[in-house]
Formats: sequence, structure tokens, C-alpha cells
Amino acid sequence: MDKSMQVIAVYLLSHIGLIFFMYPTDIIESLSVGHWCAILLGFACHVAVIAIYTKGLSYFKSQSIIDIFAGAGKALAWILLLPVSLYFLMMLILTVRAYAEIVTIIFLDSTPLWAVMALFLAVAGLISFMGVEAMFRTGLLAAILFFPLLLFVLSVSFQNADWHYLYPIMDKRSASFSFVLERPYLLSFFAFAGGFLFLGFIPPYVPYKRRAVLWTTPVLLPFFFVSVYVPLLTFGRNTAVQFQFPFIMAVDTADISWLMFDRVTMFFMITVICFALLFISLVMWKTTLMIRRVLPFVRPDLASLLLAAVVFVICLQIPNWKMVERLFWWNTYLRLYVVAVIPLTTLVLGIRRRRKGAAGI
Amino acid sequence: MNAKLPVRIALKSMTMAGMLIVLCGCWDIRDINHRALPIAMGLENKEGIYRIHLLIPQNTQSSSSVRIVSDKGSTINEIIDRISKDLELEVDLMHLKVIVFDRTFAERGLGDSVSSFMRSRDIASKTIAAISDESIGSLFQTLKSTSTTGGLEIYNFFEKNAGWSPQLAQTRIWQIFQSLHSFTKDVAVPIIKSGESTTMTSTGSAVIKNGKMVGRITPEETLLFNAFNGLSAQGKIEVMNHAAVVIDTDRLSHHSSVKGGRAVLNSRINLKVTVLETKGSPTTAMVKQELEQLLTQNFERMFARLQAEGADILGVGQFFRNRIPRDRLANWRTDYYPRMKLNLTFHTVIEDEGLLKMKP
Repeated sequence: MDKSMQVIAVYLLSHIGLIFFMYPTDIIESLSVGHWCAILLGFACHVAVIAIYTKGLSYFKSQSIIDIFAGAGKALAWILLLPVSLYFLMMLILTVRAYAEIVTIIFLDSTPLWAVMALFLAVAGLISFMGVEAMFRTGLLAAILFFPLLLFVLSVSFQNADWHYLYPIMDKRSASFSFVLERPYLLSFFAFAGGFLFLGFIPPYVPYKRRAVLWTTPVLLPFFFVSVYVPLLTFGRNTAVQFQFPFIMAVDTADISWLMFDRVTMFFMITVICFALLFISLVMWKTTLMIRRVLPFVRPDLASLLLAAVVFVICLQIPNWKMVERLFWWNTYLRLYVVAVIPLTTLVLGIRRRRKGAAGI
Repeated sequence: MNAKLPVRIALKSMTMAGMLIVLCGCWDIRDINHRALPIAMGLENKEGIYRIHLLIPQNTQSSSSVRIVSDKGSTINEIIDRISKDLELEVDLMHLKVIVFDRTFAERGLGDSVSSFMRSRDIASKTIAAISDESIGSLFQTLKSTSTTGGLEIYNFFEKNAGWSPQLAQTRIWQIFQSLHSFTKDVAVPIIKSGESTTMTSTGSAVIKNGKMVGRITPEETLLFNAFNGLSAQGKIEVMNHAAVVIDTDRLSHHSSVKGGRAVLNSRINLKVTVLETKGSPTTAMVKQELEQLLTQNFERMFARLQAEGADILGVGQFFRNRIPRDRLANWRTDYYPRMKLNLTFHTVIEDEGLLKMKP
């Protein structure tokens, strides 16, 4: 049965959950003029990588990426998948720690960090433990419940926009793409690269159409633009660069007298954190899948419980936000590897398999 | 297997109960009746010592009254903490609506305190800012003694859907913060004092440049300032020798250019007005001509003064973002703004003359 709708929903939600916090900070920091160049470049990479990845997957009929790599040789599977699982583990730790910090900074200032992290891990662990089908159904439900709210907040966030801040359109630095290899821009890639790998893990469980996912990618582009341009248009680059979370600040300035709630930011935060929870549970599920491939005797519930415990303990060891930022930077190397190597290898393996198949006939 | 079942159920329910305790999110919660929710904060600074006044509405079922709490110290947070400690309630600034700064404090610069408001998570960045022309103590006393709605007057005075009028600037904390860092934007902050027959009256607006008050404009000039910002001067009365009119709509168009290193902005403000009152029997042509003349004159006078002060509260620098490269725009306030030329033309249309006829 085709479940493209659910896959599309999870694809959108898990990316939207990642976009609105650190991504605008990094992009605004990396350029002073012409941020659209940076956004478009990143997005083009994102679409290209997904196209390559799903093309490669399409050669294998409903096989997960673990099976594909294992089929090509045990050594290759180890070399390719060990960094991926390490990357997932890092991603889990960072997302849980960073989002807990964001929650305490923005609204739960008297709740201790560990309680927020425990909540995240408990909910995400439960969802991932329920299995991938349940997760994807939850994704669709979350999309139906929260998307209208999200769209409302996003349209309201333009309240204080001053469109003159669009100018100047570009300068030498943005036109020459000299910012590409600099640290803030490389950091921004986590918003593009964090979520898409799940497309290779689900084919045996949740079948989907490749074209449906590819056609959905442009839907994400406005979200990337809104997250960067709303703070830029509201505050101007010079002021926006001062903020830890520029988009949240920009939403905070919106004043709606007819709404009975004082801060629309709350709606936004809760929506986005729901999406982030879904993303965390997705990554947890992928990681347990790999753990159980290596250690088949571990029961699935025990595996996710152990993973959650490990992540929780490591999260507790991260003392401050500076450390989170440093870990984000270290993780960039792994991320670039995952983004570049995994889709390309999948494609190469796929083409090789087709040639073999053709030769066999 | 069956013998294990009760144990498993017990274990599961214990885990669930434990989660309920740990994860319910009710951490250090204070009930709403144990919180003081100030509506306005007054901030003075004398020789580095802050003095904070909080205006706290106290509503019970039968009556509403106002309470003023004040204290001094070297940082804002220290004072709030001390007030919380001394008060039987916890001070919660989440719903603070107005922050009133002392005038001498504003003249020395609001940069640090505005930055700390932006940094702190418990004061909303959209809190309205105002400057007091008299001492904050006496302003708050008047607010307290004349209040009938539990201190809400000061909030309603500024609120767009309540008592706000176009002669009053409306500026929020984040806009002052923006002016600290922006190349081209300054702000006008309303100046208030206690009125004679009303609770409060506005005596114009303070011109704030980089967080410092450098001058002031009158309420009439504030109306022009609002009209220029398209914050439509709707329903406002302009008194002249022969007539009073109300402005229905204003529409603006701008064209910017740089000629020989000098910034030139051609602006046109289209006003649609309705006649309210006449003295004698002026013709509509006379009213129109007089109105345009008066507005142009007032505007030019105000703009010349603002240029001398180097404060771009009208945000005209914004129109040059696509004309002047960014590195040179950084010096907008010193290199371009004082020498810039603003050609402003008012174009008025008298939409109707009310219910009485007038000579054309």
C-alpha cells in the first residue's frame, strides 16, 4: 500500500522542526547582504542530495539502506554505516540538549534542564518504540493539528516587516559564494541534512513514491526563507545578528490586539517542539534499527530504553551552550560525510546492481 | 508467565506515576493569586543607582485599586528580586505593558537597560516605552489617586484600539533596541506627564538617537511623523486660521536618488481630508491651499531640526538602502543625513465638507 502522504508529512515536519532556531542565526551571521543566495544554495544541495539518494534507492525494491549496504559486503557496510550511526547518536544528543536549552531560555525558566530532557526522551522514546507505522501515522495527525496554527503564526510574524531591508539585493561576498566554506554557513547545513536519511530506512515498512517526495521538496523552501527573512525585515541585519534566536524574537514583536493570548510565540514554540519530538523519535528509531542489526539478541524495547538512557546521561554531561555549539561544529564533519557519501554510494550500488541484472538476463 | 503479570503491571504503573510527578511541568509553580502582575514600570537612574517603581493593579471582586512599590539598587534584576522578597507576592513581569523612563535618564542613554530588557526572558520585547516629563514618583502617585480601573489608564492611553491618538508616538522596547544597532533608524518615544483634568497628557515625543534622547518634537509634529510613517493620521484634526479638518487616509510615495554624493528624497504625501469646522466662510480652495502650506512649513521646520540633531526618526535612510552601498550606509547619520535634501509635497483632496455645503 502506498503511504506517500505520511512520508511527505514526516518529511515536512521533521525539517520544519529543525529550521526555525539555529538556522536563521547561522545564515544571518554568515552574510550581511544577499541572504537569499545562501538559502538557495543550501536548498539546491538539499534537493540534489535527495534526488540522488531516492534514485539510488529506487533500484532496490523495498530494501532498506542497511540491507543494501550489507548486500554489497560486510566491510563496506561497516565503513559506511558506522559514521552514520555515530552521526545519529550525536544528532540525538545535540537535538535533545539544544531544544531543552531553548525551552528553558524561552519559556520554562524555572524547570531544570534534566526534567525537560527527560520529558523529550520519554515521549520520543515511546513513539519510536511503538514502531515506525505508528510514528508515521502520528506524523500525519500532527501535521493536520498543527499546520494551520503554524501558518497563522508565520503570517502574523510579518507584522513589523520593513520591506526596505530587502535591499541591497546582493554584494560581492554573496555573489562570489566566498562564504560557503566558512563556519557559520557549514553549520547551517544541519537544517538541510538532518532529516532526509530516513527515506532510506523506511521502504520495507512504509512504501512511498519517489516522485511524491521529490515534488514536495519545494514546499520547504518558503519556510527556509521565512525563518531568515522575517527577522531581517523586522530588525535589519545589524540588530538581528545580536540575537540568539532571531526568528523567535521577531515573532515576539508581533502584537495582535484581538487575540486573547498575549504571546503567539507560545503557539509557535509548542508546534515546533512537537515537530522536533517527532524528528527525535525518528532518529531514535533509525539508531535502534542499526543497533539491533549489529546486536540482534537485544530486545527492541530494551534497545530504545538503553539508547534513551545513554543519550540522557551524555546530555547531562554537557555543561553549557558554548559546549553545545562546539559539538555542533564537530558534528559538521560527520554531517558533510553523511550528506556526500551515503546518497552517492547508494546511487553507485544501484547502478551496479542494474547492470548486473541486465547482464544476467 | 501469569505469576509475573501482576509484577509487570505494578512496575508499569509505578513508572507512570513517577513520570507524572517528574514530567508534569509544574516546576516551582506559583499560583496566579500569589503573583504580583505590574502593569507599568518606572525607571530612574541617579548617579548609577536605579530606582524602580512598579504599578500593580489589585483587583478583587468588589473593588479595584492600585499599589505602588518602589526600591533602589545597582541593577534592575537585583531591585526586582528585592521587591519580590519584601512583597508577600512574587513579582512577575511577563504582563508588563508600559515602561516609563525618567527624562534625565533618557538624556544620558537607555542603551544598557534596554539591552538588558531584551536579554531577559521575562519582559516582553513589545512592551511600550514612554518618557516622563515629571518625576516618576509623582506621575505614579497621580495615576494611583485618579485611577478608577485599577491602573489600566496608562496602558489604554497608548493602546491603538483604546485611547491612542495620532499625536502620540508609539514605540516599543525592541524598536529602541533596534535604534541602538541600526544605521538608519531612530525612534520617537512619547513624553507624558500627569494632566490637569485627565490622568495623563502627552507633551510631545522625545527624539532618541542610538538610545539617547537628543531632542523633542511637539504633539503636532508627532502627527506629521506618524503621517510620514504611514501610521495613518486617521481621524485627526488639523486646526488652521479658517477651518479644522480630519484626515481620513494618507498615502505616501517616495523616490530616492544620490546626486553628487548628496542624498535627495522626493516624497509625496496624499491626504484625504474632511472639513469639520469653519470660521467665517472660506472656500474649499482656500482650505486646501492653507492646509498644504501649513503642513509643508511645519514639516520642513521639524525636519531641519532633526537633521541638526542627526537623528533619523523618520527612517528616511531606509529609502537609500538600494542607492548607497552598505559600508557607506554605516555612516548614514554623519555623512549623508545632515546634508540630505527632502522635497516633500503634500497633496490634499477635500473629500467632502460634512453635512453643510461650502463655496467651491
